[in-house]
Amino acid sequence: MNSTVNKYDFYDDEIVKKFVIATVCWGLIAFLVGLVVALQLADWRFNFGLPWITFGRLRPLHTNAAIFAFAGNAIFAGIYHSSQRLLKARLSSDLLSNLHFWGWQLIIVSAALTLPFGYTTSKEYAELEWPIDIAITIVWVIFAVNFFLTIKNRKEQHIYVAIWFYIATIITVAVLHIVNSIAIPVTFLKSYPVYAGVQDALVQWWYGHNAVAFVLTTPFLGLMYYYIPKAVNRPVYSYRLSIIHFWSLVFIYIWAGPHHLLHTSLPNWAQSLGMVFSLMLWAPSWGGMINGLLTLRGAWDKIRTDPVVKFLIAAVTFYGMATFEGPLLSIKSVNSLAHYTDWIIGHVHAGALGWNGFLTFGMLYYLVPKLWKTNLYSVKLATTHFWIGLLGIILYIMAMWASGITQGLMWQAMDDSGNLLYPDFVETVIRLVPLYYVRFVGGLLFLLGFLIQIFNLTATVLQANKEKVKDPVAKGSRIPFKDVISESSHRSLEGLPAVFSTLVVIAVLVASAFSLIPALFTPTKMSAKSIIRPYSPLELVGRDVYIREGCYLCHSQQIRTMSSEVLRYGPASTMEESIFDHPFQWGSKRTGPDLARIGKKYPDLWHYRHMMDPREVTPKSLMPAYAWLAKDKISFDLIPKKLRIMQQLGVPYSEYEIDNSIETAQMQAATIAKELHEHGAPSGLEKTEMVALIAYLQSLGQMSIKPLEVK
Amino acid sequence: MSIKKEDQLLDHEYDGIKEYDNLLPSWWLATFYGAIVFSFLYMGYYHFAGGPSLSDELQQDLAEIYTKRKSLEVKDNGPTEEALAAILADKSRVDQGKVIYVGKCASCHGNLGEGLIGPNLTDNYWLHGDASLMSILLVVADGVAEKGMPPWKGMMKKDEVQSVVVYVKSLKGTNPSNPKAPQGEEVKN
Repeated sequence: MNSTVNKYDFYDDEIVKKFVIATVCWGLIAFLVGLVVALQLADWRFNFGLPWITFGRLRPLHTNAAIFAFAGNAIFAGIYHSSQRLLKARLSSDLLSNLHFWGWQLIIVSAALTLPFGYTTSKEYAELEWPIDIAITIVWVIFAVNFFLTIKNRKEQHIYVAIWFYIATIITVAVLHIVNSIAIPVTFLKSYPVYAGVQDALVQWWYGHNAVAFVLTTPFLGLMYYYIPKAVNRPVYSYRLSIIHFWSLVFIYIWAGPHHLLHTSLPNWAQSLGMVFSLMLWAPSWGGMINGLLTLRGAWDKIRTDPVVKFLIAAVTFYGMATFEGPLLSIKSVNSLAHYTDWIIGHVHAGALGWNGFLTFGMLYYLVPKLWKTNLYSVKLATTHFWIGLLGIILYIMAMWASGITQGLMWQAMDDSGNLLYPDFVETVIRLVPLYYVRFVGGLLFLLGFLIQIFNLTATVLQANKEKVKDPVAKGSRIPFKDVISESSHRSLEGLPAVFSTLVVIAVLVASAFSLIPALFTPTKMSAKSIIRPYSPLELVGRDVYIREGCYLCHSQQIRTMSSEVLRYGPASTMEESIFDHPFQWGSKRTGPDLARIGKKYPDLWHYRHMMDPREVTPKSLMPAYAWLAKDKISFDLIPKKLRIMQQLGVPYSEYEIDNSIETAQMQAATIAKELHEHGAPSGLEKTEMVALIAYLQSLGQMSIKPLEVK
Repeated sequence: MSIKKEDQLLDHEYDGIKEYDNLLPSWWLATFYGAIVFSFLYMGYYHFAGGPSLSDELQQDLAEIYTKRKSLEVKDNGPTEEALAAILADKSRVDQGKVIYVGKCASCHGNLGEGLIGPNLTDNYWLHGDASLMSILLVVADGVAEKGMPPWKGMMKKDEVQSVVVYVKSLKGTNPSNPKAPQGEEVKN
């Protein structure tokens, strides 16, 4: 650089602007896709018979776009903007910042180009296939290096609480992502995870729960600790509360994953641990809410006048609501009603729309005028956005509460003679359709508000002065090491970020190790193989079709230890039954019935007609048609490789079975196709994925070598 | 509660942000400690002091349900051929049977009983039983697992099953167009 001005004398706000723009663009896409999937649940015709926009393909796109594209970019914008000022240092490297930015956008684009085409691992919020997983790891490391080098360059000895939360985020997300994504590639865009069945469930929900914790909670708490005191210009309520709730949150959050697996075949004591740690998490979560809300003391009037404050405070309130609801839902008896229903969907959207959405919107209203050196174009429009968005969230959550509780009660309802009152599953679904439209309207309002924001922010940027004014790095100084270590214990730790970060690593790893220990107390494949047979080659292919179409997003494969479940679906699922499942397919939501024991319940032709048009056999079904399965051809040549990888993972396939797998699959396919044809289906189905999927579905619950012990 | 402690500013600040050092709210501490104490009690009771496991609770629930069902069975010896014949004569029950048939049976046996995945119900040929009302009842209630006919007794109430049975009986000899070829034994009566 020829200029006499050293760029390190100024903050790098250009990168913040880039992340702000990305947040807005991806937010729009995430919300739009959300609206489409909401509509598809209300009426199956909105799938338009197109494979790549069917609900099962789009839902992962919606969740990934909302979490990693919208919230992700918002986090990066906020972290890069606030950290530079809190540390009094420009970001360590423009190159790393830009690699981070463009790398992340590339990952999002590859998600958008793979998920609709069925390239998915089926692990929720970790659906992206292995090459993209590697890219995420690399970009995350770039982000971490950039961030920690900036900490190293800081002109402020101690790190503020916001930075603590950023550190916890960076470290924990890395651990979660790497451990949960370990898989063996089959092809360039297909892999099998190394974990199976109950172990995979445990790892996946340790990840899934903590993705909520360390992508949607801790970084946003960090942002809250910066933007709320800045916006209201008041001191933070309590420093000592921030210490206690930070450490308890980081340590306790990790354990709570099994609350996603209550009443399943996961060992009982592991479920109980998940439940009690969730209850213990309530106070640490509310510690953050208290510190956010009470910072406003003496400035409550700003809620009336300043839209930024409106959004931030509403966000913190939703955070408090969602983190109260979370522990409540993890109580086993409450969970038995709510699990697999829309109540959970309502719960996550209270967090996603209320907490993450509104905090981001507030931050954007604060940041854009600051970054572009102007005033907000219209305070009035921002206020309008707030009310429309709030109404949207309330409609959304109320609809999902009503829908979830209705369905949960209908599933369990019994008549006087000890029979299910609503034995036909579809009865419990059609009752919800009106509420699905209410949810759609709620989502529409939320999007409408966001469109107003986009207009407002664009107008703000356009009215800004074109000449660039950079913010100079604030003056500051570091203090000698001996002074740092002579301070009170936690204060001293804040002066030593390396030690601080190491302690976070230890807390996260220790808690993770303990919370994954139950995996060691599950049956082994060796012990299970005398009880359960592995999938036939054709069934394995069908299983991959099931995964590709995202069937697990609406159908569970886990009969819970509850009488209403046993009466409806058959004996409760056992750990052995999913032991060869790489990945597990227990699911988390039942828009359709559980399929753990669907095998042999209906004839093959029933399944054929059901896939061609579900309403032919279940008149009021909401399920989209999957007619393309009768055309798409099976890749028989991939079968030996798939079996080989399964064998490497411990599934007991013999060499003979692998060598003859193509012929075995073709024979089974021919048998099914012949019988289908005899009963009236068209001929020539033996090469199609239809017969593979039927073979798989007919195997579910039928894999026992010994008859199930029915107690 | 010490008043002088309230709103004491700490001497540090970050980008203009200052912090108070207020004490932790006592109700907040109470919920935190309360949850921890509860957790120990809960784990202790259910996993060390012999509290029931989830499957114990399930077995107990199921036992209650099965006992209830048994006690009702004793009172109700089930219908007889004659009782079903009386229902067949009741047009409202046959009509009720038709509604249920269209919703639950037509997908496999055809809208008019002409047969589709399942056999034709209008001809004189029967795969299971002798075409008596009781034999139809048995097939509808218990199903024929190997043929893919599900048992309907858990999915419908008793009187609904009976209505469907008499409706199916009423289909005999209706000669729908496009019938499925006969299956099973011819029953002459």
